[in-house]
Amino acid sequence: MADKPSDLVQGTLDMLILKTLALEPMHGYGIAVRLEQMSQGVFRPNAGSLFMAIQRLQRDGLIKGEWKSSENNRRAKYYVLTDQGRKRLNSETREWGRQVAAIARILEAS
Amino acid sequence: MSLLRNIASGLRSLFRKERVSHDLDDELNGFLEMAAEEKMKRGMSRRDAFRAVRLERGSLEVAKEIVCSAAWESFVETCWADIRFGLRTLRKSPAFTAVALLTLALGIGANTAIFTLIHAVMLKSLPVASPTQLYRLGDNNSCCVMVGTQEGGSFVLYSYALYENLRDHTPEFGELAAFEPWTSDLSVRRNGSAAEPYRGEFVSANYFNTLGVRAFAGRLLAPPDDSASAPRVAVMNYHTWQQRFGLDPSVIGSTLNINGVPCAIAGVTPPGFYGDTLRSDPPDFWLPLATDPEKWRLPNAAVEWLYLVGRLKSGFAPEPVQARLTVELQEWLSSHREVIPDRDLKDIPRQYIHLTPAARGVEKLRTDYETGLHLLVTLSALLLLIACANIANLLLARGSANGSQMAVRLALGAPRHRLIRQMLTESVLLALMGGAAGLYVAYAGTRTILLLAFRGASYVPIDARPSLPVLGFSILLSLMTGIVFGILPAWTASQSDPLDALRGAGRSTGDRASVLQKSLVVAQVAFSIALLIAAGLVTQSLRNLEGQHFGFVTDGRLIVNIAPSLSGYTLDKLDGLYQRLEETMQQIPGVLTASLSWYSPLGGNNASERVYIQGKAPDYRWTAPSWDRVGPHYFEAIGTRLLRGRVIEERDRPGGLNVAVINETFARRFFPNEDPIGQHLGMTDVSHSGDYEIVGIVEDAKYKDTRGPAYATFFLPLLQTPPGESVRGWVGAIELHVAGKPENLEPAARKTLADVDPNLPVLNMVSFGEQVAHNFNQERLIARLTELFGALALILACVGLYGVTAYGVARRTNEIGIRMALGADRRNVLGLVLRAALTQLGMGLAMGIPAALAGGRVLVSQLYGVKSYDPMIIGVAAAVLAACAVLAALVPARRATRVDPIVALHYE
Repeated sequence: MADKPSDLVQGTLDMLILKTLALEPMHGYGIAVRLEQMSQGVFRPNAGSLFMAIQRLQRDGLIKGEWKSSENNRRAKYYVLTDQGRKRLNSETREWGRQVAAIARILEAS
Repeated sequence: MSLLRNIASGLRSLFRKERVSHDLDDELNGFLEMAAEEKMKRGMSRRDAFRAVRLERGSLEVAKEIVCSAAWESFVETCWADIRFGLRTLRKSPAFTAVALLTLALGIGANTAIFTLIHAVMLKSLPVASPTQLYRLGDNNSCCVMVGTQEGGSFVLYSYALYENLRDHTPEFGELAAFEPWTSDLSVRRNGSAAEPYRGEFVSANYFNTLGVRAFAGRLLAPPDDSASAPRVAVMNYHTWQQRFGLDPSVIGSTLNINGVPCAIAGVTPPGFYGDTLRSDPPDFWLPLATDPEKWRLPNAAVEWLYLVGRLKSGFAPEPVQARLTVELQEWLSSHREVIPDRDLKDIPRQYIHLTPAARGVEKLRTDYETGLHLLVTLSALLLLIACANIANLLLARGSANGSQMAVRLALGAPRHRLIRQMLTESVLLALMGGAAGLYVAYAGTRTILLLAFRGASYVPIDARPSLPVLGFSILLSLMTGIVFGILPAWTASQSDPLDALRGAGRSTGDRASVLQKSLVVAQVAFSIALLIAAGLVTQSLRNLEGQHFGFVTDGRLIVNIAPSLSGYTLDKLDGLYQRLEETMQQIPGVLTASLSWYSPLGGNNASERVYIQGKAPDYRWTAPSWDRVGPHYFEAIGTRLLRGRVIEERDRPGGLNVAVINETFARRFFPNEDPIGQHLGMTDVSHSGDYEIVGIVEDAKYKDTRGPAYATFFLPLLQTPPGESVRGWVGAIELHVAGKPENLEPAARKTLADVDPNLPVLNMVSFGEQVAHNFNQERLIARLTELFGALALILACVGLYGVTAYGVARRTNEIGIRMALGADRRNVLGLVLRAALTQLGMGLAMGIPAALAGGRVLVSQLYGVKSYDPMIIGVAAAVLAACAVLAALVPARRATRVDPIVALHYE
């Protein structure tokens, strides 16, 4: 796991993107970097899966994209969380917590 | 909401494809450059940085591909691409496309035509409000006039008194209507013009309320019309208003003379309404029961002659109502013992009323044609399967020719499922196009079937134009057909080995595709022989039916159907009318013999009545014998032979000795051990058993049932009755034996009748042969369609065999060349090719004949004078198929013998 970035648990990339955008609006690359930083290098999504997830979230109305110029004067598409996205993030975070706790209890049982 | 947004977004990327694709490019490029900048800041060169990003994050082209193909619109896009590709492929091989489209149009069209009929006859509801609330009191189509308890205890026909009782004591019915099970001839005159024949149905005045039909114009019948003293009214069918009265609005409210009585046209029913029963020649007019010219029926509580249909109030289930009706029925019968014959009294507790859903009305056509339709469904499905096998075969042959192309595409990395999808798209496209052409075939086919099925009818209320359900059926069927014939070839093609392409293949002789092709040909031969044998059986059966000895002669006979009762003739004027008719008709040039009768054989009419033989106890074991009234020379006019005694003659008039002539079966049944001549018989009851003296015996003749033996029948003179009784059975038919074609005499006959009485309604004129032919409409329909399907199957099987053989020869040119170079002569080569074709033929026959034998057992109830296995028919069918198949195989086989070894070896 040290050498190779880990595969994400199925379906969690969407939740992580929502979390990233909850902090501040961000473009695609920014999301990737932020994910990598926050996971301390464990998750390094490739462009294909990242943009597929972004497209999916956009179509579900959870995030909105808008072209803006970036910090170094480059045009980039910034994504913002919608109200619906924020609600989804909350519910998914709760559900995730429940599941992780449950899994942990099972694994710790002796 | 999110689904809508998803669709909107998908549509945007479909229709503004460049813009969206451009956006994605920009975004991905930005991603790449930002990532690279990051790395360059850490000291990498620009080139290294870009390379590193690609390694880390994957190639941008792949990323774009992934993002695009994840969305649903990409599925649409590939489908669209496949469709365009498919169309291009089809255009490139026009011969294949034409053959496939024609085959499909015929196959799908035949099935759609049959479905149109099934939809109309078995599935479609009456065009009335909430048809599912309608229930019929009774579960069979017994007809027509009965007395006493009913067959099996199930009550179907009701007297008017019983109807009124049920109507007034069953509150679960919102309305309960009564109507006659048949339609009657009407004689209609307009403003003093000549009388014209129409069809009418007599119904209770709440009939239209019960059915939930509103007037298109004017008003429909209303309860006051039930009274005999109410002003006479009639309701006109929209179709009649359109066809015979040119939608003239002045007709509504005007007065027509119907059966000699002025009658106001109250209104017109809505378009599409044909009454309570789907039948050919539906009523032109609906009239109140109170105006039925057979006045003896309505007040007589003993006469059972009405069908009842009611509309259940919502919230009531049929079962409890049914139980209640049964109780009411038994109570009524018990309290009206005087109307039940003594012999039936013990059956009263077993009588019951069964409620049948009547959303489709009285299902007469369904009952009459159900077995026939099922047979046609099976046959047309078989035909479609053969068509599928044929096209699958053509596709396989084409696929083998394109095998290397497939292999190359596979080698270049095309996923197998994409290849299958693309080929299936092409098949479905082909099938849909075939189905579209099939709609026209279906329309023409349905019209032809209706003409065949209702030969002799002037109007059938079934629309041949495809309705929405029919359209849906056709599209679904096309889709399924496309998948059925496409899946095998697509699968086979996707299995081609990429290595073959690189080797320059096509040499192997036993590959999967050719085994499949041969099995398909075997299946086609098997289906075809089964269809051919079925066609042989039903054709032979029809020929037996039409060619049987009926007990009369149809050649050179014309039947004129008249209805003196409708133009106001009364009993005292009948004698004069009959005499004038006999005289004048006999004098028409070309007429050899003219005679009159109540009804003629196989014209749809039959009357039966219990007889009492003098000196014998009444015998209820037999069904009541049939009887008819006939004039002098009647048997001569229709060609029935006299066996003993004498026929009815001029002297057998009122006042003379009352006489009767019987047929052979009557003689055998009632006088097994004695001479019938000189014996006496009578109707009504034992006291009448001396009324008529039997003076002659004629040969048996079929009057109603064409398949069973002739009914026991007795014939009475036109006007002789026991003292004090009036004549039942007025003349309805004139039989003319003529020299030459009977149709040629129609104008002269019509003129003579007009001379006798211009108001005498002539219902129709038809040659005796045509009248008899109408009895075999269903058999003829099935025979002609089976023959047609059989011929198509034969052609398809031969095309299939030809295709496979020709393809085999083309592929083995090389091998044949070598064989010839090594000394094989033409005969060897011919044998080599033919042997393969004959093996397929033999296997097909071996599988198809047992299947046909099994099918024949199902068919046997429909057959007349043919066993389910007829070695002659099987032999002829097999011989015809074999001959055609050998011819089909011989063409490519001869081509094989002309292979030049040198050319063959140089090839490739």
